[in-house]
Amino acid sequence: MDALGNLLLGFAVALTPVNLFWCLIGVVLGTVVGVLPGLGPAATIAMLLPLTLKMDPATAIIALAGIFYGARYGGSTTSILLNIPGESSSVVTCLDGYQLARQGRAGAALGISAIASFIAGTVGVLGLMLIAPPLARFALRFAPPEYFALMVLGLAMVVFLAGDSMVKALLAMLVGLWLATIGTDLFTAESRFTFGQVKLLGGVDFIAATVGIFAIGEVLVNLESRGGAEIFKLAKGLRNLLPTLQDLKDCRFAFVNGSVIGFLIGALPGAGATVASFLSYGIEKAFSRHPERFGAGAIEGVAAPEGANNADAGGALVPLLTLGIPGGNTTAILLGGLILWGYKPGPLLIQEHPQLFWGLVASMYIGNVLLLVLNLPLVPLFAQILRLPYYVLYPLIIGISIVGVYSVNASLFDVWMMGLFGLLGYLMRKAHFPTAALILGMVLGDGLERALRQSLMMSQGDITILATRPISGVLLLIAIAILCLPTIRKVRSWRVETIEREG
Amino acid sequence: MKNRAILLPIAVAAITTVSSGLAWSQEFKPSKQIETVVHTGPGGGSDLLARAIAELLQKEKLVSQRLQVVNKSGGGSAVAMSYLAEKKGETHTIGFFTGVWVTNPLTTAEATVTIKDLTPVVRLVLEPAVIAVKADSPYKNMKDFIDAAKKNPKQLAQSGGSVTSRDNLMRLLIQKATGAQWNFISFPSGGERLSNLLGGHVQIMVIEPQEAGEQIRAGNLRVIAALGEKRLASLPNVPTLKEQGIDVPLIPQARGVMAPPGVPREVVQYWEGVFDRFEKTATWKQYLEQNQFEDGYLKGPGLSKFFDDLTAQMREVLKEAGAKVVR
Repeated sequence: MDALGNLLLGFAVALTPVNLFWCLIGVVLGTVVGVLPGLGPAATIAMLLPLTLKMDPATAIIALAGIFYGARYGGSTTSILLNIPGESSSVVTCLDGYQLARQGRAGAALGISAIASFIAGTVGVLGLMLIAPPLARFALRFAPPEYFALMVLGLAMVVFLAGDSMVKALLAMLVGLWLATIGTDLFTAESRFTFGQVKLLGGVDFIAATVGIFAIGEVLVNLESRGGAEIFKLAKGLRNLLPTLQDLKDCRFAFVNGSVIGFLIGALPGAGATVASFLSYGIEKAFSRHPERFGAGAIEGVAAPEGANNADAGGALVPLLTLGIPGGNTTAILLGGLILWGYKPGPLLIQEHPQLFWGLVASMYIGNVLLLVLNLPLVPLFAQILRLPYYVLYPLIIGISIVGVYSVNASLFDVWMMGLFGLLGYLMRKAHFPTAALILGMVLGDGLERALRQSLMMSQGDITILATRPISGVLLLIAIAILCLPTIRKVRSWRVETIEREG
Repeated sequence: MKNRAILLPIAVAAITTVSSGLAWSQEFKPSKQIETVVHTGPGGGSDLLARAIAELLQKEKLVSQRLQVVNKSGGGSAVAMSYLAEKKGETHTIGFFTGVWVTNPLTTAEATVTIKDLTPVVRLVLEPAVIAVKADSPYKNMKDFIDAAKKNPKQLAQSGGSVTSRDNLMRLLIQKATGAQWNFISFPSGGERLSNLLGGHVQIMVIEPQEAGEQIRAGNLRVIAALGEKRLASLPNVPTLKEQGIDVPLIPQARGVMAPPGVPREVVQYWEGVFDRFEKTATWKQYLEQNQFEDGYLKGPGLSKFFDDLTAQMREVLKEAGAKVVR
């Protein structure tokens, strides 16, 4: 009952016209930032922070948090339509989203992404409201060995990203892991694989690499098929542009999966939304009755990761608001904001400033509704972009990619890297290597290596530390089980064949 | 390349305008947005400080143009420093330095730009730090911890930033002075350092008092030593290392403003004038207090000497720590 009373207090704060107005501004800005690849919520919030100094702090955090979770809604748009990941957490969305678009179901994919975002976003707020303190305490049990196991579990998802050849998928993943080692080694401050290039000291920019491999690579492959053939089909009529009842039914499990995984992973300061989106995608495929559809346009393959990256936003606020610990860039800026507004973020924040916490929680419920109402009508509008003929669409994709990648660091070097990765993406498609496996290695490589070396520092080089701790042990067992799946499937299909032959 | 081709004539024009006007006016005044380079991503320490100062300068109406923060993160500070060096003679670019700008080029071969290549403007803050343990830990002071570390060499651990960060260098200095040994585990984000301490996975951490403050108040952390010449005003009961019999050189964490190489003297004078006035404002004093920073205001020859001394000290500390010093 206590939570209910507090929530009412929160709604009293969030429903004042001023706060409602700024919540709307926040989520609209967030959507825009999410749609545009490159410029992310962290940079946007940092730029707007000065404007909030004259506001009431509750209003300010409502507006900035709106940008944070609003960006997660918009991130899917360019992923689905143009194969350009809008945010790093929307990379997985490209896999099935873009395939759906090619089959004329762009509207359904965009719609389901908005609906999944709404459901998972709301579940994230519910979690933040109901179980934040105990979850934050649980998250503290995650030390380097646990993170290592989590990263291994993430890498095991390669099983579900592989096309016809497991070997090719593993090779691509290894290249991704190698790419992640480029840059300055955190532990020795030495540089690795930088070939004397100062610009590589900071590592390969993730956005440049993914946009190159997905968007540019795809354009290059399509350019080969000459003739003015239509690449995209687009259904006529508004109703055909939205998800069908069957789509919603197919995504039942994905909604739950994305919400839970996203929220839990979000609460861990060392993981992040991209990890959550890959995990939820893998889980979705593992439990699917028709796994062969994944990668070729499965609607659940859009719903799960898009849900996960929205629930993650709620999860990420858990350590920030209950312990004063920021998990990522965006939450670090919100922490800086809290200090500038005169608060002392820490374990006592909720207790001493309930109107701030509950106002924010209530505003997030409202914000999620606003986002759904905003985003659904935009679906048919955005889908129209696919009516463009290819000679307009391809330059458009390349243009958006260049601007997006350049805007991250204002660096032309990154644009060249994008071109290079575009070529790599093209070659991989030609040789039938799964591009997503490479990206998976790149996303997880950094965290995996770090956690492994940190664990070994903890244990004085004793590698058993990875398996003997309860949480990491369980996670590793699950990872091993997943890695065995293809073999089990093979044995089973071989048995079926044999039995059939004998019968 | 194209970009520079456009910028160069502008820079040259700016310099000639300024020098031709010298006879009757030595004033430089920014005529467009000021590019403000930081070496961290959005949300990092330098980023937050630069954005706060940009805001406060404007609030006090001390600069006529906007300071636009540009994040050049990567390679410790190498990417930001080489970016500044490329802007040679550019009058509308400044950067925010920290101690990393001194240590990073010492250990990274590719980081060819050193602090000597840039133009120092002012040092603004000195960040104090404290050593914290979990509130339920058995260590009530440094002696307890050092004794435990001696009894179980390399069994205890400290969480911190990169190996060239102040946290680790202080550990190496204390280890050398006391003979105790414990591990150092690097975490790139401050959040992870703190959560590993709170989770009991490491035993100690060097932390800024502002970051520790609320954890202490909530009963999660205990502070066992102050890393400074004197005790902190906010933690008057916490003795310094020296008071606890550990006499090691203290490594200051300084933050301030740098300009690209070869900027006209007038530009440095302009910024010195701005920060002279800024340093005295109540707004700035309040900001220092909120963040529990020390006022580290220093400019001119004093600042150059500070960098020379710090570079020499760091080189020694890093060498002794067994790090590969490349220059």
